[in-house]
Amino acid sequence: MTMPPLLEVQDLTCRFGGLVALDRVSFAVQPGEIFGLIGPNGAGKTTLFNLISGVTTPTAGSVLWRGAPITGLAPHRLNRLGLARTFQNLRLFDGLSVRENLLVALQRRPRSGALAGLLASPSHQQAERQRQETAWQLLEELGLSRLAEREAGTLAYGDRRRLEMARALATGPQLLLLDEPAAGLNPSEKDDLCQLIAALRQRHQLTVMIIEHHVPLLMRLCDRMAVLDFGVRIALGSPEQVRRDPKVIEAYLGSGSVPSASGGAAP
Amino acid sequence: MIDNGLLVQMLIGALLGVSVYLPLAAGQLSLATPAFYAVGGTLAALLSTTWPALGAGADGSFPLASFLLELLLGGLLAGVLALLVGRLVLRLQGIYLAIATIALVEIVRVAILNLPFTGGAIGIFGIPQPFPTAAGYLLPALGLLALAGWVCQRLEVMPLGRAMAAIRNDELAARCMGIDTTRVKLTAFVLSAVLAGSTGALAAHFLNTWNARQGSFDTAVTMLAFVILGGSRSWLGPVLGGLLLTALPELLRPVGDVRLVLFGLVILLGPSVFPQGLINPGLLERLGRLGERAEREPQP
Ligand SMILES: Nc1ncnc2c1ncn2[C@@H]1O[C@H](COP(=O)(O)OP(=O)(O)O)[C@@H](O)[C@H]1O
Ligand SMILES: [Mg+2]
Repeated sequence: MTMPPLLEVQDLTCRFGGLVALDRVSFAVQPGEIFGLIGPNGAGKTTLFNLISGVTTPTAGSVLWRGAPITGLAPHRLNRLGLARTFQNLRLFDGLSVRENLLVALQRRPRSGALAGLLASPSHQQAERQRQETAWQLLEELGLSRLAEREAGTLAYGDRRRLEMARALATGPQLLLLDEPAAGLNPSEKDDLCQLIAALRQRHQLTVMIIEHHVPLLMRLCDRMAVLDFGVRIALGSPEQVRRDPKVIEAYLGSGSVPSASGGAAP
Repeated sequence: MIDNGLLVQMLIGALLGVSVYLPLAAGQLSLATPAFYAVGGTLAALLSTTWPALGAGADGSFPLASFLLELLLGGLLAGVLALLVGRLVLRLQGIYLAIATIALVEIVRVAILNLPFTGGAIGIFGIPQPFPTAAGYLLPALGLLALAGWVCQRLEVMPLGRAMAAIRNDELAARCMGIDTTRVKLTAFVLSAVLAGSTGALAAHFLNTWNARQGSFDTAVTMLAFVILGGSRSWLGPVLGGLLLTALPELLRPVGDVRLVLFGLVILLGPSVFPQGLINPGLLERLGRLGERAEREPQP
């Protein structure tokens, strides 16, 4: 392959005191693919997202964006490069309305200067109209438009999950990191979410990395996946390859459930 | 009962309330406002009494243009100071930031007290007057408040103001949405300082004398009370709080020494009756709905 991967992590290691949360993890994510990440609780999946998104600085190893090193860049710089994420434990701007949550994320799409804003100049008005329009489009797309003026903190759980995705999308990412977007949803909601993610990838030309415990869902959705166990990447490949991997079977037997096309792992 | 002098004082209170509100709108509990107020006031007092080019008359008069120039310079100096100090203190979070900014207030107070040219404990006297009566100060004070309110109002529909609100809600999430939180917090801090500095310059002339006591820890607490009583969800909150709490001790003067007890009770009971301040989200929402009904705006 001549094109560099969109994202590559090399020997990424993260220690918290004596605990090795991630141990020399390497893999690459190709443009346009949906890349799944599974592993038992505490395997280091969220930590990996934190390292990629700049929230945590790795102890060792590096992260590359289209072949260029981005290790240790601040989260806002990484976001501006085209990398957006959601949070496992929902971190919405609870005091702001649903629409305002998106407008915050849309503040650079397009940019407009502070002076132009203070003076309400035509260029600001134009930029503002564009931001509002994009916000409405995203709300529509994620099925949130009827909740636009509601305070984010008052939304039902499933709506909050979708608002997290909408807000990340609003920053205009190329790579979207979804940390357990289906957690707490019922089976039919999970199916809907699955279709939504696939549709969003098409419409927004996204590359997606997704952490999910529900293995059948992930196997249906992903092009490739990696398995983490105690901070170590124990498998990498197509869903079919991963499912057959003896190490994966062992890890999941150890934690009490086997990934299969019909049954799910423990949440 | 409310004379022009008290009105000007109330407006100064409102201005300082907005100054405390601005960093708070970005989630930063800074009590540095009295320091910047003192810097602006000291600069104006010094310039107008020692710099002949400003044109202070022997009869204590002062050209209006020079007065306006001082408002500008007071704001500018405070802003530059905030830019330098902000880079350091804004790394601190929550109560640590509050304590660091109180330390700043004390450092500025002690510096002004001990500088060779600021008149020591007595301060600077006979600051010349751009207006013959207190009423003259109403217009510039109102103008400054209108300017501050306009900036705050615009912020709500601007990326900068939205970024401030986002940081106030969840700083980490804001960073992950592409917001340079360091820069946004610094901007709010500088805006707050500029406003306090200009207000100080205005107050120095209005009060006629200026000394180190003008910016001290207890003024910081009073200004915080403006915001707590008025509410911090909208800039109107600190304006109302500043107006009311400045007027109250004066209005209560007829009842004698009990007035301080009553004043204390208001500060104590106000927040328990209105936990979110007088201007609270519920009230704002009701006002908003009234506005919508008036406009009958179709939803896009
Ligand atoms: N900030 C932190 N400080 C200390 N330990 C942490 C921190 N973040 C995560 N950990 C630990 O690292 C391990 C991996 O956690 P995490 O990445 O959240 O796992 P997962 O998302 O796969 O469930 C856990 O043992 C967790 O307790
Ligand atoms: Mg996790």
